[in-house]
Amino acid sequence: MSHLRCEEVTVSFGGVVACDKISLDVEEGRIVGLIGPNGAGKTTLFNVLSRFQQQDSGHIHYRDQNVDAKKPHQMVNLGMARTFQNINLFAEQTTLENILIGAHHLLGNPFADMFSLPGARRNERKLTERAMEIAETLHLLDELDNPVKNLPYGNQKRVEFARALAAEPEMILLDEPVAGCNEEETGEIKNIVRQVNEEFGITIFLVEHDMSMVMDVCDYIYVINFGANLADGTPAEIQRDSDVISAYLGEEVA
Amino acid sequence: MSSQEKGQNTGQPTGARASRARIEGVKRRFELQNWIAAAVVFAVAFFLPMAPFVEGWMVGQAALVIVYIMAAQGVAILTGYTGLVTVGHGGFLAIGAYTAALLMKYFGTGLVVGMIAGGLVASVFGCLLGLLFLRLAGAFMAIGTLGFAFFIGTIVNNVPIFEGREGISLPRNHVLGLEIGDFGFYYVALIALAVITIFIWSLVRSGVGRAFKALRDSERAAESSGVNRLAFRTLAFSVSAFITGVAGALNGLIVNYVSAEVYADIWYSVDLLLAVVVGGSAMLMGPFVGGAFVVMIPFFFEELADFAFILKGVVLIMVLMFAPAGVVSLVARPVRALRRRKLVAAGDRLGQDDVSAQSSAASTGGDR
Repeated sequence: MSHLRCEEVTVSFGGVVACDKISLDVEEGRIVGLIGPNGAGKTTLFNVLSRFQQQDSGHIHYRDQNVDAKKPHQMVNLGMARTFQNINLFAEQTTLENILIGAHHLLGNPFADMFSLPGARRNERKLTERAMEIAETLHLLDELDNPVKNLPYGNQKRVEFARALAAEPEMILLDEPVAGCNEEETGEIKNIVRQVNEEFGITIFLVEHDMSMVMDVCDYIYVINFGANLADGTPAEIQRDSDVISAYLGEEVA
Repeated sequence: MSSQEKGQNTGQPTGARASRARIEGVKRRFELQNWIAAAVVFAVAFFLPMAPFVEGWMVGQAALVIVYIMAAQGVAILTGYTGLVTVGHGGFLAIGAYTAALLMKYFGTGLVVGMIAGGLVASVFGCLLGLLFLRLAGAFMAIGTLGFAFFIGTIVNNVPIFEGREGISLPRNHVLGLEIGDFGFYYVALIALAVITIFIWSLVRSGVGRAFKALRDSERAAESSGVNRLAFRTLAFSVSAFITGVAGALNGLIVNYVSAEVYADIWYSVDLLLAVVVGGSAMLMGPFVGGAFVVMIPFFFEELADFAFILKGVVLIMVLMFAPAGVVSLVARPVRALRRRKLVAAGDRLGQDDVSAQSSAASTGGDR
């Protein structure tokens, strides 16, 4: 069943066409990757899917519901969370506060919350309990009271995951999850991605440069080049695809 | 020895859970310490005016300090916690003061109604400003809010009902038939301050406060986590304006006189921003220190007004250089660091490896 689908999405900045009629379909419960050489339009497409960028033409469907008119903050309500390419945490705040922000859409009435009315306090306790469970799963329990700016890179990446999970999403978009990670950290992220997908049944869509990451964890891969669809298939198929090889290695090889 | 092995066999999750429970216990103790400290400060502030050496004018001056602290607390919500720099809160102060003054003059309402109405009218304007300035950030927000203060200043200077520089003189205040003097105002202000401080304390810990801080630290990440930027910015503006509006109403009624000469002055807005920057904009106690500073400097240097002006500037520069998070951070940071060390120690007491288990067992014995 289709979880997230985009149909012929086109985005241009001035005269430059960043995405030219790109279509893709992320099936429910799978780990789907998007790759392409630098400047292929990956980030633009990612921003369109998370609604930070409005497309010029084409449509986005989430669970067969058209979401072209949705704002970024409304996507969480539908069940879609995301992480950022360069870690985008609330640096001054603690790990616990960062995770809790992920659960923002589960807050209830903001006025009851603001005045700490009994119902809001009960809800807060529930959310905190849930945040701690997530922290435990991602081995962050020891860092809960630490401002995230004090955490090492790998832990910060995991806090971003934890924040996305706190939204209790059905799908997570990952923007280059292992950018800037060393081999050990990359291995750890791979495990988390698989764990999140298998244990929580969350659909994963990720954009990535690191080939080992994409080939190891993805069930299905889309390749784009110069803003247009180039190929799609299983990792094994993509590795054999002559168009993909020439896009990455240059025409001469092909 | 056997018990230690058992502890190891329980595996990491259980150990981590247990240490988490201990950390929560220590946290509750810190919370209790905070409450006790706050209660002591409040008791001192409550009983000190009754001391024999205290004179009426001192109490009156103290009430003005409290008003300024409250006004600065409003600024702190917006500038400190939500990250929107405002140079226009003099406008909200004026709205609060004129609302209370006009209500009293034409409808004979008293202090409490004036304060609440002043806060509410200010928060309506705050709401409108939040919607109007949705796309402004950083320096543009500062200029936008400055424009708002000029706008309000021009209105009160020129629209007849506000009586311009002549000002509106008010009768002395009565509560339940008793005239309120300096002492009465002081206690009304003190209680209002206590209520607002507790409100802010709980606000910044609530989900709404977290959303404010999230918008401050990264709008993109906040929005992708589901924070509605328009709604929460507007909410921050309204809450902030309400608090400063209440302070304005109190200010007008204490002085018994509201005039454009005072409230159209743009320096009021600048002083309020100065107060939170000097004290610490994202610290609960920041407005207390900053508000007192801004009121008392001109008071101590009455004869040397220019010198007071220079001194404010010098202090501001020193603070920005040596304590950019505000004067209060000089005390709060070490306390927080100490407490964090204690929390970590509490979490480590049943450390997984032998060496730390033994050493922490020793320290546990010492503690009890």
